[in-house]
Amino acid sequence: MKQIAFLSVLAAGAVLLPLVIGENPYVIGILISMLMMAALSSAWNILGGYAGQYSFGHAAYFGAGAYTTMILVTLYNLNPLFCIAVGIVVASIIALITGSIVFRLRGHYFGLASIAVAEVVRLSVLNFNFTGGAQGILLTDVALWNLDLNSKIPFYYGMLLVLVVTLSITAYLRRSKTGYYLQAIREDQDAAASLGINIYFYKNKALLLSAALTSVLGSLYGLYIRFIDTSAVLDLRLSIEIILTAIIGGVGTLWGPVIGALLLVPLAEMLRSNLIGDMLIKAGLVSETSGVGLFLKGSLANAHVLVYGIITVLCILYLPKGILGLFRRKK
Amino acid sequence: MIQHLLHISHVSKHFGGNVAVSDVSFSVEEEQIFGLIGPNGAGKTTLFNCITGYFPATSGDVIFDTKKINALRPDEVCKLGMARTWQRVKPLGSLTVLENVMVGAFSVTNIAKEAEANAKEQLQMVGLNDYATKSAGSLPIGLKKKLELARVLATRPKMLLLDEICGGLNHTETDTILDIIRGIRKKGATIIFIEHDMKAVTSICDRIVVLNSGEKLAEGTPGEITTNPDVIAAYLGGGHNA
Repeated sequence: MKQIAFLSVLAAGAVLLPLVIGENPYVIGILISMLMMAALSSAWNILGGYAGQYSFGHAAYFGAGAYTTMILVTLYNLNPLFCIAVGIVVASIIALITGSIVFRLRGHYFGLASIAVAEVVRLSVLNFNFTGGAQGILLTDVALWNLDLNSKIPFYYGMLLVLVVTLSITAYLRRSKTGYYLQAIREDQDAAASLGINIYFYKNKALLLSAALTSVLGSLYGLYIRFIDTSAVLDLRLSIEIILTAIIGGVGTLWGPVIGALLLVPLAEMLRSNLIGDMLIKAGLVSETSGVGLFLKGSLANAHVLVYGIITVLCILYLPKGILGLFRRKK
Repeated sequence: MIQHLLHISHVSKHFGGNVAVSDVSFSVEEEQIFGLIGPNGAGKTTLFNCITGYFPATSGDVIFDTKKINALRPDEVCKLGMARTWQRVKPLGSLTVLENVMVGAFSVTNIAKEAEANAKEQLQMVGLNDYATKSAGSLPIGLKKKLELARVLATRPKMLLLDEICGGLNHTETDTILDIIRGIRKKGATIIFIEHDMKAVTSICDRIVVLNSGEKLAEGTPGEITTNPDVIAAYLGGGHNA
């Protein structure tokens, strides 16, 4: 009961937050990024955390959603919700092809092959004409019901909705047959098979679910930013960020990916916008023209992936179960 | 007519040029406790792997409950009612003891509540109920072996293949496991038992097959096997005269 009350407060807070902070587009933008990364990482977690199958190519499913939606909206001006549904289908087809081939192999082959598949998707998109190639796709206008899609608010709620759905699915899975089976596969495949678990079927099920949710987020992202190209939605860097968020927060836990996103997205934003450097310089701690000052202003802004890397190494060394692992007592 | 639950017919398994199991045949009757013994490397575990779908046999047939199961996957074999345990125990380490057994129970139900009830029943049966909420990876070996048993029992098998379930246990622990196995048989299951501990084997098995270097050396009742000169030679070395 305590948990339900806590969750209700959390959900109400998330719903009311835009009203409290008003129409500050910068802050709303960061919140949207946080929600999106939390949802992406949670969707990845179904496959990576629960089934133990590390996908390094989730950008492929994100991009599949984004490109499908953007192409259909710009060319045929279809209802965005319909386009998101088609995006799910496209991502699911890619997932099924990948899974049905690669899950026959064991060990780290799935991880390697998932990178290969994502790169094939990226290079194909880059070289086809209907995808806009290297130019990407620009969306000038989009409409849904009476929503003001020039404002960021509808996308805040869109991302929030997908996050809540993803977390609900994960919470349900954990206590269901499928969830137990995925965890059994993660722990020991031979033991799992000997207990009547069809390993291929359940791995594919997890991949399909994960890919479908990821594609919805890709679609939303495209409609929100209104411009996509391969470096924004199909890059290996995106796949890695999704994984790092889950690892740092806590792989295979319900809230780990959310905590990871709450921490890393603002951190990346601070580095990108040079907040830390500016603050140190303004406080007079570092001279703007000194070597350190130049580094802070010039290079650190490009270093957020490096900082992710350092945090990950520290996490692996000192918090192998992620930040959430700190708060869990050992059984 | 006697009911054969499992029939192994001329099964061989080759790994490249290495013959692990060669032309082995035997039949197991319903509600029998059937011993499979032999020196290290005799091919006992390989034969288990052929029967349960982990490695398909190179030649020969495995017939379970009148069905040919040579080409089935392990999970399909389990669904038919044949479950196995592992010589090197394979607990699902980060799950609790109860959850481990529930995973087994889900092969006969889709509902978590039913799986939990089934799992608790099996934990009771093997005497692990006090450990239900402990993480499976943290159990000592004796309890891990019991967990293996509880987990396969939860799949409600007609036939159990136990691979050195007493290996690494002391006498008291072995006796407890043997009592549990007798209890399982009483409930109508058939058991094949790989074991090194001859005292355990002869005290519990109705019939025994001896493998040596992949071939069937002898078959018979415990009395026949313990007095068979070939078996004694295989265990003590060829130079001894029994």
